[in-house]
Amino acid sequence: MLEAVQLTKRYSSIPAVQDLSFTLRPGEVLGCLGPNGSGKSTTVKMLTGLLEPSRGLVRFDGRNIQANLAEYRTHLGYVPEEAHLYPYLTGWEYLDMIGTLRGMSRPLMESKINALLELFSLLPARHAAMGTYSKGMRQRILLIAALMHDPDIFIFDEPLSGLDVTSALIFKNLVQSLGRAGKLVFYCSHVLEVVEKVCTDVLILRQGVVIAHDSVANVGQILGQSLENTFLHLVDDVDTMRVAGDIVAVMKAA
Amino acid sequence: MSTLAAESRWGKYRQLPFWRLVELFVERIFRGGGDSDTEGLDIGVGLVLTLLAMPGGFVSVLLFDKYGSLLQWLRGQFHVDTLLIALPDEYFFIVLSMTVTGMVAVWRWDAIFPDRRDYTNLAHLPVSSRTIFLANLVALLLLAGLVAIDVNGASCVLFPMVVSAAQGTLPFFIEFGLVHAVGVLLASVFAFFAVFAVLGLLMAVLPPRAFRRVSGYIRGLVVVYLVTLLCTSFAVPSSLSRTTGRAPLWSFFFPSSWFVSLCQLLRGRANPAMVELARLVLPAVVGVVAVAFGASAIGYRRHFVRIAEIADGSEVSQNPWGWRMGFLERLLLPTSFLRGCSRFVGKTLARSEQHRLALTGVGGLGLVLASQALMNAFQGATSLRQAALTPDALSIPFILTFLLIIGLRIVFEIPVEIRGNWVFQLLLDADRQECEPLARRVISVAVLCWVTPLTFIAYVYAEGVLIAALHTTLVLIWAMLLMNLLLIRFRKLPFTCSLPVFKQHSIVILISFCFGYLIYAVSTPEFESSALVNPVRMFSLVPVALVAWYVPRYLEKNTINWTGS
Repeated sequence: MLEAVQLTKRYSSIPAVQDLSFTLRPGEVLGCLGPNGSGKSTTVKMLTGLLEPSRGLVRFDGRNIQANLAEYRTHLGYVPEEAHLYPYLTGWEYLDMIGTLRGMSRPLMESKINALLELFSLLPARHAAMGTYSKGMRQRILLIAALMHDPDIFIFDEPLSGLDVTSALIFKNLVQSLGRAGKLVFYCSHVLEVVEKVCTDVLILRQGVVIAHDSVANVGQILGQSLENTFLHLVDDVDTMRVAGDIVAVMKAA
Repeated sequence: MSTLAAESRWGKYRQLPFWRLVELFVERIFRGGGDSDTEGLDIGVGLVLTLLAMPGGFVSVLLFDKYGSLLQWLRGQFHVDTLLIALPDEYFFIVLSMTVTGMVAVWRWDAIFPDRRDYTNLAHLPVSSRTIFLANLVALLLLAGLVAIDVNGASCVLFPMVVSAAQGTLPFFIEFGLVHAVGVLLASVFAFFAVFAVLGLLMAVLPPRAFRRVSGYIRGLVVVYLVTLLCTSFAVPSSLSRTTGRAPLWSFFFPSSWFVSLCQLLRGRANPAMVELARLVLPAVVGVVAVAFGASAIGYRRHFVRIAEIADGSEVSQNPWGWRMGFLERLLLPTSFLRGCSRFVGKTLARSEQHRLALTGVGGLGLVLASQALMNAFQGATSLRQAALTPDALSIPFILTFLLIIGLRIVFEIPVEIRGNWVFQLLLDADRQECEPLARRVISVAVLCWVTPLTFIAYVYAEGVLIAALHTTLVLIWAMLLMNLLLIRFRKLPFTCSLPVFKQHSIVILISFCFGYLIYAVSTPEFESSALVNPVRMFSLVPVALVAWYVPRYLEKNTINWTGS
């Protein structure tokens, strides 16, 4: 079980996240939504142990993760927002390095890498430098790197970025399968339909504060509307139609 | 057999996370750094090592002429003190070793420390940040050792062979070789860690944003210092060997003089000044390594461990006067394409660190050569008027324009974020050919706009209006002709095309540049110096200028465009 207890992070006394609390149980897929600057990335960094909270703590199986980060990270599979890979390494070399750094046994690692590369349609490109990969290919490499050691917790930060339709569909089903397999999944995204489809619960952030945290069905029913409309109503009090009209007007201005 | 065994041993080591990280960092230092996701100038580790080893080997071979006993005999040199005549050459090798190693460290400045990419890929893995730091440190130590051996390997074997050619004894060869190896290897290690220490200190002292802002300028200064060091090879050895009594103050600022003094001390030929300088070597090397490690540990703690809290990128201050001078802009850049692209070119030159660095290196070389020419001009001259008409003084604007124009032309070939060039591919109209006028205008603004007025003012003060006008006109015409030559069939927007491959004729181009420099910045001022005594003789340069103007035009019209653009 992963617990966030009154997580608060301040940058130079400016709060990025305030009193964020939730519990993620095995089998749950928690979606995290929020506009830019709402504190999603800071939350992810605190959950992965990359950032130490200014106040509060993250507990995994009842233990503060900061007490033994290295041990916690053996249970973690993380897909960062940016696919910032080493362009001169091949896909296979990168995964081999990640597996080695995770202490995986060689035969198991090699068989898993090959199988996952095959499943993610990357086997033909495994010996090409990642500098030549498309954004979607890089994203798939990151997904394999997060999956290959069979972690208990998955933290996905915009994992669909750049994926083609087939890969995205595979991934959405994969997330649901991971939930059914009893894994803990924290899923950060801007894509509301995906969150609506794959997550069991949703957490909506605005300016670092939780404004809604419930099951997807319940959050959608707050206003008796879809998750998209509820999200817009809760987060941004913006008339999107009017803004779109204004953009066209500016575009056409002489 | 032993290679196979070593490979298999390394195969076992690289299964351990620590050594896998070391491998990653060694590879990253050689092949990639900075934040770009695209592949940079990746010419392969083997080729890099070959290129680094070449200067020492070449220079050693060229010295056969000086030390060959038969040639000495033919020149009438019968009783030659080999160790005495070897002093300037040994100093040159030490300086070369320091410069090349220092340049490598400056070149890989961005890759020396783990960066945001490493953080993104490694920080969430079950590997402690201390392990990452130690692995990086081990990679740096290996790299320093490898570069030191590579840069000096050829000279450590060939130079002692060349020097002992006249002596012909094995003990002399071994003794000379060992002392030489100690000197150049220590100098190399010192230079590498000195740059590393500067980087570490900056990271330890400055906040991340200030560090990013200052970093480029400091790298530029280090490059200028290294070029200056290389240029001291003509003066320092003789000055040091002539010194009686204590070491002069200037010698403490040139570490190369400490290392050459150590070599002399080890051979028992050091004067008191050299003994004093040689004693600095050991504390200096130990000190610089200790500072580098200490400062890098603090810098690592301040920068890498806290990357998650540091905002990516840095703000760029807006110049309120930049591109606001509408009239001047429209005058110089009549089309919107020229105006838009020149802003891109100007801002790339001002903000891209690798472009600034390359230009600083060439500019630094120009500055050092110009300073030397200025000093030479005043040697033996009794007045400013007399000094100003010497070939050395007249060569200064030629040196500056030649190196800066060539430098800019080379810098135009270095791509910046090649994935972003689709914008220009959409805009570029192949039929209008506006790239060459753009490059010409950028070079003119960056070089001629300040070199020619300064030349004119300086010569009006020294020699009067007529000489000033003639000299400035000649500089201007020569610069325009050089631009014509360099921009033949220039059909691409600067910085937007892939790096040209390392072509076989690169050596030929390099030799052409050297030859061109001799004509442009040595022979022309020599002729001008004699012609300015009788200014009518200046007109004899007109046919030369016409030929130099016509040839590029002919080539432009009558050669096939292989680029296909």
